Amino acid sequence: MIDININGNIVSAKAGEMLIVVADRENISVPRFCYHKKLSVVSSCRICLVDVEGAIKPQPACSTPVVHGMKVQTQNVKTKNSQKSVMEFLLINHPLDCPICDQGGECELQDVAVKYGSDISSFSEGKRVVTDSDIGVLIQTDMTRCIHCTRCVRFGVEIAGIMEMGGTGRGENLKIEPFLEQGIQSELSGNMIDICPVGALTSKPFKYELRSWQMNSIPSIARHDLVGSNLLVQPYKGKVKRVVSADNDLVNEIWISDRDRFSYESLTHKNRLLKPQIKVQGRWNQVSWEVALDYAVKGLNSHILNHQKADQLGGLVSNTATMEEFYLFKKILTEVGCDNIDYRLNVKNLDNTIILDSNIKLDALEKIDYALIIGTNIRLEQPMINHRLRKATKKGADVDVLNVMVFDFNYSLHTENIIAPNKIAFILAGVLKSIMINNGQELPDYLIAINVDEMAKNIAYKVLNSDSSVIILGEHIINNVDASTIANLVTKIAQSTNSRTLNLSITANAIAANLVGCVPQNSGMNVNTMLASDMRGFILLDIYPQYNFHHLGAAIKAFEKDDTFVISLNSFKDDIVVGYSDVILPIASIYETSGTHLNINNDMQSYIAAVKAPNEVKPAWKVLKVMADLLELPGFNYEDSTQVLTEISYQSHVSHTHDINGNLASYHNGISVIWQNSPYSIDAVLRHSRTLQKTKIGQMNNAYMNQTSAKALKVSVGDKYLGVFVVITDAVADNCVFINTNQTINIQGQA
Amino acid sequence: MNEVCFKNLTKDQCWSLKVYEDSGGYSAWRKILKGELTPEQIIDELKLSGLRGRGGAGFPTGLKWSFMPRHSNGQKYVVCNSDEGEPGTCKDRDILRFNPHAVIEGMAIGGFVMNASVGYNYIRGEFMEPFKRFEGALEEAYKVGLLGQNINNSSINFDLYTHLGAGAYICGEETALLESIEGKKGQPRFKPPFPANVGLFGKPTTINNTESFASVPEILRCGGQWFADIGVENSGGCKLFSVSGHVTNPANFEVPMGISFKDLLDMAGGMRDGTKLKAVIPGGSSTPVLTAETVMNMTMDYDGIEKAGSMLGAGSVIIMNESTCMVEVLTRLAHFYYDESCGQCTPCREGTGWLYRVLKRIIDGNGRQGDVDLLLSIQNKIMGNTICALGDAAATPVESFLRNFRKEFEYYIKYRKSMVKG
Amino acid sequence: MISIKARNQIDVWIAKYPKDRQSSAVMQALKIVQAENENILSASTIQEVADYLDMSGIAVQEVATFYENYNYKKVGKYVIRFCHNISCMLNGADDLIKHIENKLGVKTGEVTLDGLISVKKVECLGACVGAPMFQINEEYFENLTVDKIDKIVDNLK
Ligand SMILES: Cc1cc2nc3c(=O)[nH]c(=O)nc-3n(C[C@H](O)[C@H](O)[C@H](O)COP(=O)(O)O)c2cc1C
Ligand code: SF4
Ligand code: SF4
Ligand code: FES
Ligand code: FES
Repeated sequence: MIDININGNIVSAKAGEMLIVVADRENISVPRFCYHKKLSVVSSCRICLVDVEGAIKPQPACSTPVVHGMKVQTQNVKTKNSQKSVMEFLLINHPLDCPICDQGGECELQDVAVKYGSDISSFSEGKRVVTDSDIGVLIQTDMTRCIHCTRCVRFGVEIAGIMEMGGTGRGENLKIEPFLEQGIQSELSGNMIDICPVGALTSKPFKYELRSWQMNSIPSIARHDLVGSNLLVQPYKGKVKRVVSADNDLVNEIWISDRDRFSYESLTHKNRLLKPQIKVQGRWNQVSWEVALDYAVKGLNSHILNHQKADQLGGLVSNTATMEEFYLFKKILTEVGCDNIDYRLNVKNLDNTIILDSNIKLDALEKIDYALIIGTNIRLEQPMINHRLRKATKKGADVDVLNVMVFDFNYSLHTENIIAPNKIAFILAGVLKSIMINNGQELPDYLIAINVDEMAKNIAYKVLNSDSSVIILGEHIINNVDASTIANLVTKIAQSTNSRTLNLSITANAIAANLVGCVPQNSGMNVNTMLASDMRGFILLDIYPQYNFHHLGAAIKAFEKDDTFVISLNSFKDDIVVGYSDVILPIASIYETSGTHLNINNDMQSYIAAVKAPNEVKPAWKVLKVMADLLELPGFNYEDSTQVLTEISYQSHVSHTHDINGNLASYHNGISVIWQNSPYSIDAVLRHSRTLQKTKIGQMNNAYMNQTSAKALKVSVGDKYLGVFVVITDAVADNCVFINTNQTINIQGQA
Repeated sequence: MNEVCFKNLTKDQCWSLKVYEDSGGYSAWRKILKGELTPEQIIDELKLSGLRGRGGAGFPTGLKWSFMPRHSNGQKYVVCNSDEGEPGTCKDRDILRFNPHAVIEGMAIGGFVMNASVGYNYIRGEFMEPFKRFEGALEEAYKVGLLGQNINNSSINFDLYTHLGAGAYICGEETALLESIEGKKGQPRFKPPFPANVGLFGKPTTINNTESFASVPEILRCGGQWFADIGVENSGGCKLFSVSGHVTNPANFEVPMGISFKDLLDMAGGMRDGTKLKAVIPGGSSTPVLTAETVMNMTMDYDGIEKAGSMLGAGSVIIMNESTCMVEVLTRLAHFYYDESCGQCTPCREGTGWLYRVLKRIIDGNGRQGDVDLLLSIQNKIMGNTICALGDAAATPVESFLRNFRKEFEYYIKYRKSMVKG
Repeated sequence: MISIKARNQIDVWIAKYPKDRQSSAVMQALKIVQAENENILSASTIQEVADYLDMSGIAVQEVATFYENYNYKKVGKYVIRFCHNISCMLNGADDLIKHIENKLGVKTGEVTLDGLISVKKVECLGACVGAPMFQINEEYFENLTVDKIDKIVDNLK
């Protein structure tokens, strides 16, 4: 540590740190435009010039390393003069119509101008007018306001991992723009809005709606993945107008995915369910809550409970609910004597599931030196986790991939192995065998016959020879014929090499569902058994079968059955839900309810409602509580959701490793279909987010297969397979169709 | 005259390997290859010679070479700056055309001293003739085994390549030049870190001007003291001066440092058509303009020109006679900097255009009262506040022209016409 | 498509730089590709260069718009680049530029009707002791006079 003197005060610092870092730590204000703590330093805006004793010229605080004994003045005349000069230069070509600018009130230029600026009367030439480029549906540009700080350019290169914005031309003609209006495609693009210091890049869906000071900022948590990014939700007159990121270095740093930023638009979608409704003798009536709940409870009683048939009642919940809702859901069901509870709707075979720990924290991910990624298009499926891995690769980490298809990574991979779904277990068995041989461990029977090929050897070598590695298992494996074996092999590989594991086969708030125990109780039925059994009734929380279930045909059939009483709690209207339900209760969507999200760090992040739900819509936890009261169940005297939370006891869900048996050396035959909802279609909120749906990611909708599979399936380009357009490409492994779609699951297709 | 870079100028095929070797060329390099010269000896000789960088800033070359972390592991580079583009400057073009082997030998020696096995010569894109000459010379040098890997079994490696520019004055700034070689826009980097630590492709790099490199072989052949004795104190050796403008015989002259301005003017045949001297820009467009009175007793060396109120720069002496309208000249220079600003830093991007527009309106007869002070205040806001020296280079002429010829500007604003040309 | 010939030329430049530093060849690649496309760069040629050098389109676009030697508008078979900077100006460049404009019937920045010649005013070309001067394609012509210009220009075919 060294001492330096700022404005007469001695402060300590690390030698070589930039002056601005020290000033920030000491709360000494130094203006900045180009400098941003998460981006590289370019030192080009010159607004941070300060007077350093001994230097003739003023020095930029953002790129001046501190040395012992340095004396700095951030407030004297010399500093003020340089900063005023720079301000004047910035303003000569900047429109001075702050009152109509979208950034008004949160513009860094405006702030500095007020604080440091001089009068700007001496410039009388016309202002530069810059033509705007259309950079896509999410970001609005007003490039006349651009001050060429290049934060957005560096964001692309350094954070998003693709250079999309650039500075073309030179001198006064320098223009910040994308290549050929091709628009910004990054899944993190909205962050450019947050980091642009002026109103050059603003939110397009938000355009001209409001001034920032008219809105509150309510801290909240993102719901669409396992990260739980920290957000600020900004409502006005009861409507969410904008979502921006909030800092949390342990979770999302300062970034959020576009998914988390723009999904609020769904709240005002015309398909919102606004009133409770009941089906009486085949006809739907909109009714009051009292009537609806009374109808629901009476229905439950008369169909099921009065006959002591609670074992023929099923409770199914999607992974999007809050932790409190999972808990109340399970509590109601168990209180009425029903053990049939499940949230694992998209798993084909629940005897063959992935059981895998996540035992690495988000911020530790960027410090790993090796990652093995299995079965995920991680960049689009878990953008913030991918961002941490990208940072690790920038520090030299190697990443190997075992996927069924080539995906677009924004960092270079050590190896990208494209292999058929039915060979993944075999490869991992080879990896494990190679490791055990290396470690001198005795081989279990199931590994003896395994042939260790080059791919397995190389991966084994990397896992063995890295100091901190992680193995990541993704969603594409959930319905693999060897799913549980794969998970177990991963666990064993990790154990024999001291690696960490990350289970990305689940998402949203599934960790909470699991922890609370929204799974079959005692000898209750799991989802697939329920669908195949003769049920008298269901309670369904946030369920849209055509998107949620693997066995959707069976699901719809089970719900539709004449004598099955179905209570649905939903936020959006849906014809299929209408088709089978007896009661539909409109529930609050994201930002309209308080609750808790449990992320991959095991952080319980609670949030309050940022806005009130529209019309008669009620938060699901309240609906469940009132239902319980009407059912005269004891122990539901909650006044708010935090009381629910305190009651939840965290019994960790058992996660033991199964033994591996079966013959790994011979593969299962046949073509596997991996059905993956496209990244902006994974839940109802996203599916109703207008603008996200218009992006390239939102439009993803193809069934990819190679020539051999196409031949075997007798389809060609232009055909549809399971209702999705076929794309024939070498990028897909043999024996595999990879479907990435924003459509509903095709009913005939999924037996 | 013509003792170092221009030594063979008058000989037939002076750019050929044969002429170069016949006059002692590559003898220093051969000595090195035989192990008869150490890096330390070379640096000492260079320090003794008083050679200062010929690219404009005049930094002592021996000292610069000693800054390279020659013992650090990993690749290091030497880079030659042949991007010559400062108005008034045209000496490197002639060195490349007429003595390319001196540049090659100088760079090879630099590579050896700084333990850099790869060199690049950045030649401005328009210099196709010099480029071809230089490439031809490279081919000759490779052919006789003076370059490459394990040269003459010395275990010394040196590969030399040319990089061609594509039209941007700013690439003459050494860090912009490095960016340009890396395939990017020529935007100067902020310093520190300096290229000697983080240079080309992130590796330690030393950049010198063409003339600086071309002077090194002769210094090693004839001795540092010999070179120092040619010049004067603080300005060792001889230097190429490009004398252009209103002189009878504009040309490049290699003359001892410290020669009087008058003698240099005489060499150029004096003022054209007997006209009267009005002003001189002694070191290229970025250096302050001097009036006829101040230059008459000036000597052409770093200290001499500084004493007169300007800088030696790249030795580009622009002579103006009494028919010159200073408003016109300054407007042209302001346009140049406006055109060539890379645009990354605020004061230069915004300020150069502002300066040019105010001057343009004066020239167009739309000047306003107070414009002279406005120009002074704008240049003052640029000065010292930018990433690279182009900002200062744009500001300097404004300040010096207005200081020395303010009346002409005020006249132009008031009468909407040139005081000189009417 | 970048022709095989152009690829070979670009490869010569790529070979000068360290491994994985092929983007160093971008300036020459653009020149080579421009020469093959009537001396004009277009968005698609820029994209092709980007793909060939494994760069992003916008990174190549940055380079292609930063340097002065690339064209986006039609130019003549012969491009006369007339220096109008200080030494040339002191030696009458402005009058000579007017002369050539009158002679060819075009303004600077324009192309003659037959597409043969275009004239452009440029900054110092580093031949100030030969002022006034211009460059036609690769070649420099110095110490220009009206007569000399007439002779040179009349010989362009
Ligand atoms: C705007 C600008 C343009 C420059 N142009 C050149 C140039 O064309 N040639 C050159 O040798 N140095 C030029 N320089 C100076 C270089 O940055 C650098 O100081 C020089 O190449 C170092 O070599 P030397 O020590 O041998 O002089 C320029 C500097 C600036 C700021
Ligand atoms: S658009 Fe915004 S972030 Fe990008 S350079 Fe301009 S001011 Fe900076
Ligand atoms: S001073 Fe001008 S040329 Fe130099 S870096 Fe700044 S903008 Fe670029
Ligand atoms: S913040 Fe330091 S120069 Fe921009
Ligand atoms: S000023 Fe014309 S060549 Fe230098």
